Amino acid sequence: MDIKVLKDRLFESAKNEGFESCEIYYQSGSSLNVSVYKGNIEKYQSSENGGFCFRGLYKGNMGYYFSEDPDIDAHMAVKSAKENAEVITIKDKEFIYEGDKEYPAVNVYNAALEDITAEEKIQTALDIERYAREYDSRITVNRSMVASGDNYVYICNTEGLEVSERENHILAYVEVMAEENGEAKEKGEIWIGSDMDSLDPKKLSETACKKAISALNSESIKSGGMKAIIENEIFADIFQCFTESFYAENVQKGFSLLKDKIGTQIASDTVTITDDPLMPGGYATTAFDGEGVASRKKTVVEKGVLKTYLYNLKSANVDGVSSTGNGFKGSFRSAVSTAPTNFYIEKGDKSVEDVIDNIDYGIYINDVAGLHSGANGISGDFSLAAEGFLIENGKITRPVDQITIAGNFYEVLKNIDTVCSDIKFNSSAIGSPSVYIKNIEVSGQ
Amino acid sequence: MINVKTAQAVLEAAVSTGAEFAELFAENNSRNNIGITNGIVERANSGTDKGCGIRIINKERVIYVYTNNMTYDNLIKIAREGAAAIKGDTKHNITVFNRLEVSNAHPVIIMPDTVEKKRIVDFLMEGHSRAIAYDSLITQTGLSYLDSVQDVLIANTEGLWAEDRRVRTRISVSAVASNESEKQTGYFGPGALQGFEFCENTDIKAIADEAARCAVTMLKADNCPSGKMPVVMDNGFGGVIFHEACGHGLEATAISKRASVFTDKLGEKIASDKVTAIDDGTIPNSWGSINIDDEGTPSRKNVLIEKGVLKSYMTDRYNGGIIGMAPTGNSRRESYKIVPVSRMTNTYIAAGTDKREDIIANTEYGLYAKYMGGGSVNPASGDFNFAVNEAYIIRNGKICEPVRGATLIGKGSVVLKNIDMVSDDLALAQGMCGASSGSIPVCVGQPMLRVQDITVGGRG
Repeated sequence: MDIKVLKDRLFESAKNEGFESCEIYYQSGSSLNVSVYKGNIEKYQSSENGGFCFRGLYKGNMGYYFSEDPDIDAHMAVKSAKENAEVITIKDKEFIYEGDKEYPAVNVYNAALEDITAEEKIQTALDIERYAREYDSRITVNRSMVASGDNYVYICNTEGLEVSERENHILAYVEVMAEENGEAKEKGEIWIGSDMDSLDPKKLSETACKKAISALNSESIKSGGMKAIIENEIFADIFQCFTESFYAENVQKGFSLLKDKIGTQIASDTVTITDDPLMPGGYATTAFDGEGVASRKKTVVEKGVLKTYLYNLKSANVDGVSSTGNGFKGSFRSAVSTAPTNFYIEKGDKSVEDVIDNIDYGIYINDVAGLHSGANGISGDFSLAAEGFLIENGKITRPVDQITIAGNFYEVLKNIDTVCSDIKFNSSAIGSPSVYIKNIEVSGQ
Repeated sequence: MINVKTAQAVLEAAVSTGAEFAELFAENNSRNNIGITNGIVERANSGTDKGCGIRIINKERVIYVYTNNMTYDNLIKIAREGAAAIKGDTKHNITVFNRLEVSNAHPVIIMPDTVEKKRIVDFLMEGHSRAIAYDSLITQTGLSYLDSVQDVLIANTEGLWAEDRRVRTRISVSAVASNESEKQTGYFGPGALQGFEFCENTDIKAIADEAARCAVTMLKADNCPSGKMPVVMDNGFGGVIFHEACGHGLEATAISKRASVFTDKLGEKIASDKVTAIDDGTIPNSWGSINIDDEGTPSRKNVLIEKGVLKSYMTDRYNGGIIGMAPTGNSRRESYKIVPVSRMTNTYIAAGTDKREDIIANTEYGLYAKYMGGGSVNPASGDFNFAVNEAYIIRNGKICEPVRGATLIGKGSVVLKNIDMVSDDLALAQGMCGASSGSIPVCVGQPMLRVQDITVGGRG
């Protein structure tokens, strides 16, 4: 769609319909995704897609309308947005932002990625599959995939804001199954990057294969409270379930237990949490948020003390502070809400091995399941299916499965004894080092 | 959306390099949603997704291209791009499409686009007022409404021309109960393959009461104990256990790669005699129903397990083809942006003959799981988990104190054999199921049943 032509039509209709100010948020992208199976291309998928969201202030209320249809009747879209605005009863002031004077420079687009051919991607996927197959006779490869994508965002409004950003990336994913004695374990490993040279297909395959094979012949353990190390990426996944409680809008509406906790100790003093949209190479790196506010790095928790919530323009206005640049949309379709960018727990000094050395009896968790259902973002309670290894007398002794780990996230934050030195980000840009917790409830036999 | 001539030309371009099969899936999906937080209308949004995907299959290779630029020239261009990845020798002659005649088994009385937004807001506000007034411990509420009207067109090189309209409406009600240091939530999300009449026929006050009661009960509850014990799962959303422990493992997507514990088990005993399980996409106006699936196969009722014996998998054209099974009407996808695979519709364990009272009375010690949350499974290992939202301890055949924060885990192949009592009170419940072809509406269901022995992951 010719977005500038559509924009002009929408803005004109909006003016006629009595909107005070309005904005268009346009997003488009293309992707190529190849999967191989048993040495052949199994799936080859390519796409070109885009859509826009119109929003505007009508009698102080924000009305929204989205569409993927390039031939949309602009007048109809604006009228729908007006109908939506008319039922809104929220009193907090909404904003169509005039923009910042300056935006940080970020490097999120690598032109060289466009030159990588489909054949090269297919070959890489085949290599990944072959390395995995050759790793061990107990391994079968369920999926080996290479995908590339680019994404363009353009925001323009009647208050003077006009910003755009183009981002691209490539990812590789392998999912392997190890089988022995009639039992199977399936594990995957993902890599995301901005240039193909930093992908090591062999290492990716080996990591997935090692995970699957080391989990073979697992058994459950006795229920009870245990010392636990939770592996970096897994703790990042758990942390992600509770990031919403850092959003000012949730605090203001009473959906967060972090209400009135600014300046107080909410985690052990080993925990520092940062939101850094400017981090080089970060999966969520961006120059501006979904409202057009310039990005900036901030410390959210410093040595356990809560320093700030994450704000968009509306929630910042309620608290009388500036937006932290965290006003994002889930997709172009959604209303502006809040989201972290590259959000992570800062790493510590100790290696995981050093921590294991000092544990007489404990558990090392390297997989969890059921995060979407077994973790409650409001209460902080979680109970998750888990796998890992038993630690006895400073050594990993055997694989463990068919257990759950349960606790309350806010208690866990306070009980983190050691934050290790091995930070890793999950694919949603949430990062954590492995953490050592003095006690977690384990349910098994 | 796309006329016959265009469809014909696009399919011809798609098989121009000799592929065995090509299919076009076009979609127009118009949606509205409204969100109310603490009695304030915070969110009202609407819009349309519209686009087209072309799937080309040759032997075991699948090519998929999609776009929302549905001009003739662009569709031909992407069809040719897709075809370039195939070298085949099949010749096609697409001269005429045979229109699939399907009668609509899911009548809609009030189309969503005829409903004033104010009426929807008023309806949700009744729920808010009721929940907030339920108890002084209720501090927050959240209610939402969404509708979607999805029109689909499926045309393929075998001459199929199928169209369907799916009108869905769903609401959600959540209530938060708080004391100084804790918050607990109660949540329900009923929906149907229906228009606004679904809301008119839904007692939102009763749902609000139940969500509030659940939140308050859980705020006062102790932590759930840990370890293995008998678990009685109530009807309705309790069916998530079958969905996770077995359902996903019976999808041809997993079977075709031998990545399911139920591979090669047709005709074998995989569950206790008490278990008969069915996937039925034809239930009138049920949330998970469809007239036709996303490949144009009419939906039907499939018996998956009969008295413990595995009778059928759920298949789509591609994965069913690999394992030599005809499509069962289970090919589904979230949108034109995703390749369809075998998925569930309304899946449930059929009614048994035991009585609810007897199941409780016959349990000396165990957990009564009244409401379940979602779950997940790894079909390859059969390891599943799902959350319990409201639970009680059963002691000496009686339901005693409430407990909270439990997840149940196990292996599908084991737990199905451990179902030893099944009552006669089948009920279905609605949810969204996420898997490789995206998030789709499904129902789970079961009568109250008992699992002899399952790992309960609590904090106590």
